[in-house]
Amino acid sequence: MAEIVLTLAVPHTPLLWRALQGPVPADLAGVAESFSTFRALLAAERPDVLVVVGSDHLRSILTSNMPAFLIGKATRIRGTLPSEQRAFGLPAAIVPGHRDLAAHLLGGRQLPAGFDFSFSDEPWLDHSFMVPLLYLTPDLDIPVVPIHTNTNAPPIPLATRFRALGSYLREAITTWPGPERVAVIGTGHLSFELGGPRQFSGASLDPEFDGVVLDCFRQGDVERLVEVATYERMLAAGNLTFQFLNFITCLSAGGETAAQIVEAIPSRFGDEPFMAWSMGR
Amino acid sequence: MSRYMINKLLWEVEAGDESLRAFIDDSAGFIDRWERDEPMPPHPSGGTLTSEERTAFESWDYSTLYRMGAHPFLLWQFARAVWVPARMEAHEFVIAFRKGVAEYGHPDFTT
Repeated sequence: MAEIVLTLAVPHTPLLWRALQGPVPADLAGVAESFSTFRALLAAERPDVLVVVGSDHLRSILTSNMPAFLIGKATRIRGTLPSEQRAFGLPAAIVPGHRDLAAHLLGGRQLPAGFDFSFSDEPWLDHSFMVPLLYLTPDLDIPVVPIHTNTNAPPIPLATRFRALGSYLREAITTWPGPERVAVIGTGHLSFELGGPRQFSGASLDPEFDGVVLDCFRQGDVERLVEVATYERMLAAGNLTFQFLNFITCLSAGGETAAQIVEAIPSRFGDEPFMAWSMGR
Repeated sequence: MSRYMINKLLWEVEAGDESLRAFIDDSAGFIDRWERDEPMPPHPSGGTLTSEERTAFESWDYSTLYRMGAHPFLLWQFARAVWVPARMEAHEFVIAFRKGVAEYGHPDFTT
């Protein structure tokens, strides 16, 4: 049977990529170090598959057809769209996909009872997937199952659905008959704003919100987390804070237990979250 | 007013180097061609704007587009790509954008 050997929550800030070429600037040393620590944690668990929960930023998926939750099933997956190569200097890449596990998560030939997933046979990965993958697995050699969640274009799913997604992934991965060692990686931000009056403020936008949710992750308090994560409260914390919802999926995929690492690393882009579950089981 | 149409044009301008260059060189001409495009599934291009929306696009007026409820991520990527470096340096534009949208708070960007 497959097992979840590690669950990680990491930032996907695309501007890190250019800023971290060459010598590491002092104000990004903490973030660079955390990615390096998490890269080692992941390598030590020798995962065969990465299930990555990220959120396309209206790069490959527009609201002409916006799924709430989409699983990409392909053996070769294209990463980084031309607009992101230009804007962030991210490299174009081909990432291997784990089509069979993706198909299993989709329920085979009928969708699972609790989830009306969308699927794509030709997914593209934007920076919400590529930035974490490039830092955690620089060779891009571990097969990926990308799961896009709509955290960017309202109406977005309720926080309770992100919790249910995590629980579903945990159950579905552990009932996969293969021997794979699976790591679940969720990507997002804490309080976060872009394209608004408080963008690039360089510190936590909403220390109260960040403090409460980090505390929930430390205690494994998923009930409180879904209570706090209302649309209005997240919007008040910053106009794109919704991407934090992917971390609720991590908490549930990690068994709704206290995270073993919970850090918010200060950087010029705000406080960058790094969390881990299921280490050294 | 259609926030979807605004977002769609923001996206199409910024999607590739060629479209971005064409919009910077001749914004009105770019919009003319975009409005003539026949929408084709599954990735429909082309669309229509109101005259207020069109004026905002032609003058690269991100404040007005923001007030109208353009998607903040799409708007920022678009605005930065057209303004920098054609009319401003990156660090100046971060400040100008913040100031330009401050009075509108967080407009609803639900399409």
